[in-house]
Amino acid sequence: MNLLALKNKNLQEVNALLGTKDRDILVERFCALGLPSKKSEEYRYFDVEKLLEPEYKTLNYVPKTPKTSDKVEIVDGVVVAIPKGMRVYNEACQMIDMDHFDPLYYLGHLLSPQTIKIELDGDVEVEIEHKFTQSDALINYRIVLYNQANRHATVYENFISDDIENTLVLYGYDMHLAQDSTLRVVKMQSMQDAGYGMVASHKVNVAKNANAILKSFDLGGDQALQLLKVELAEHAHVDDGHLLYLNEDSKRGTVSQIVHVGEHSTSKQEAKNILDGKSRGIFDALIRVEHSAKYTKAEQNSKAILLHEDAYMAAKPQLEIYIDELEASHGATTGQLDRKQLFYLQSRGISYTEARKMLVIAFANTLIEEVKDTRHQERIKTAFEKVFYKNHKD
Amino acid sequence: MSNSILKIENLQAKIGDKQILKGLNLELEPGKVHAIMGPNGAGKSTLSKALVGHYDVELTGGDIIYKGKNINEMEPEERALEGIFLSFQHPVEIPGVNNAYFLRTALNAKRKHEGKEALNAAEFLRLMRDHLEMLGMKSDMISRSLNEGFSGGEKKRNEILQMLILEPEVIILDEIDSGLDIDALRAVSEGINKMKDGKRSFLVITHYSRILDYIEPDYIHVLKDGKVIKTAGPELVAQLEEHGYDAIEEE
Ligand SMILES: Nc1ncnc2c1ncn2[C@@H]1O[C@H](COP(=O)(O)OP(=O)(O)OP(=O)(O)O)[C@@H](O)[C@H]1O
Ligand SMILES: [Mg+2]
Repeated sequence: MNLLALKNKNLQEVNALLGTKDRDILVERFCALGLPSKKSEEYRYFDVEKLLEPEYKTLNYVPKTPKTSDKVEIVDGVVVAIPKGMRVYNEACQMIDMDHFDPLYYLGHLLSPQTIKIELDGDVEVEIEHKFTQSDALINYRIVLYNQANRHATVYENFISDDIENTLVLYGYDMHLAQDSTLRVVKMQSMQDAGYGMVASHKVNVAKNANAILKSFDLGGDQALQLLKVELAEHAHVDDGHLLYLNEDSKRGTVSQIVHVGEHSTSKQEAKNILDGKSRGIFDALIRVEHSAKYTKAEQNSKAILLHEDAYMAAKPQLEIYIDELEASHGATTGQLDRKQLFYLQSRGISYTEARKMLVIAFANTLIEEVKDTRHQERIKTAFEKVFYKNHKD
Repeated sequence: MSNSILKIENLQAKIGDKQILKGLNLELEPGKVHAIMGPNGAGKSTLSKALVGHYDVELTGGDIIYKGKNINEMEPEERALEGIFLSFQHPVEIPGVNNAYFLRTALNAKRKHEGKEALNAAEFLRLMRDHLEMLGMKSDMISRSLNEGFSGGEKKRNEILQMLILEPEVIILDEIDSGLDIDALRAVSEGINKMKDGKRSFLVITHYSRILDYIEPDYIHVLKDGKVIKTAGPELVAQLEEHGYDAIEEE
């Protein structure tokens, strides 16, 4: 399949190319937004054309009877294992956002008429592992996630790949947080010549009084972008945190839109970016407060540390506000490691590399510590050290 | 004094465009306590920074000879591993770096350099417990971020704790006594005295005779306008207190 063929096509042509029918409203949305290119607002900092260009082989997504495992294992878009007692289904997505900003959200839905639906029971903690084993492939799948009212569930997401190359993963979730619930999603994606690029396009609906805690830890190299739309009902809250540590010529990051719909909804968004080599970090984040969302609180902040003069941070925190009754703040800073601190550590016999690592982890620590589980904290730190040492040898 | 552990010869150094050290000579003897006194802005902190290879200071002439070897170009971490320690006049705060983790990393770097095995967290804490008690440091100070929110006195105690743990051979203390209350001064002095072993040498930069009552210097050097202009025994302190630095003639 060649995705570039979808450029500037009308409804009939897209239907013909994708073999879709009865899904015209989605196709219309896709056509209206257009296949992303350099010129698309939401992809301006990311080289999406490079990922869309190649000819990819497509895969068949035949559901299997999952084995029992301690985690949900998804291999090339097919669920192969789930924890005992977990409810995972293959079915059509019931609630697709008709006002998402990302065309690939719609393409993802069009390519994946059957989604992986996961119902989180009670106060569970689940790990979802995504694994990719195919080269030169377009791997597309979507997850639909539900939790239960008054419950507090946690999802840990991880990504691994075999020794593959030139694969594109188009993936994402539609998340529905029930009233008065908390859902914590901690995503860790360490890529270093992982052999795949990724565009992940998400939608998170946060119902009344619910609390979404979304934390992503994106480490290493390669090309990947997550596009996230969050919609907040009355008294709903989102706590969104992104850590980026990039090296080489990686381009990765987050494009987000947090929409305050309900009164008294609150959002907090924090990005910490550590950029090495020639990498580019992306934090292109819009908070929109609608007329209906009085007494909102919105807070947005991006901090970047450049470890190399060729690294670059594209930080664009933006507020779009239609009312007066709110509290909002946003800001972005870019700087270097503090020389005085670095020297202090070195003056105690700690090597330059080790001292830099300590300061970088210190910078990242506020986000890492928000991952309450110490085992997962350690995992993030270990993954971080692995990619860090690859680029820094004494 | 051919047996000096550290020998500074005709040292000249700039910070930015400003010449601060202007041909400074000084020798530290093993096992001895050398005090440096001198007016504000004379170059005392600059000298101490030059000795540990601080990036602010650019050497423009002269030699720093440590254990017979010129270390003008040596990296700061290398100097530390070789046994040179500076207690900073203004220790920097490092939020997010745990104090105990920092200290253990520093100690293990030194142990590795000496071919010794690393200490694990438990062994390290055991080692530290006595020091903490002696210095009157609350145990939460080692689980906090390095120097973050520490009071002036707590920072200085933390510097001494590092000295006790790293066991350096040349110990430079830049105004360790400034801003300390009487108890802290006593605790810090006790820490310093504990390190005296007849081999280590100390370079104590101070404005006050108080600390010298506790740690009993062998020599007093007067640093003025980028040079050591006088060296004498401890009796010089009283004279300085009475007549000030202006009365000192360059020898
Ligand atoms: N980073 C710097 N940039 C510019 N000038 C500096 C810098 N650091 C020191 N100086 C200058 O160098 C001179 C010597 O300073 P230094 O700190 O060595 O003095 P000192 O003898 O330690 O004084 P004090 O007793 O006040 O601590 C001063 O005139 C000071 O202003
Ligand atoms: Mg000074």
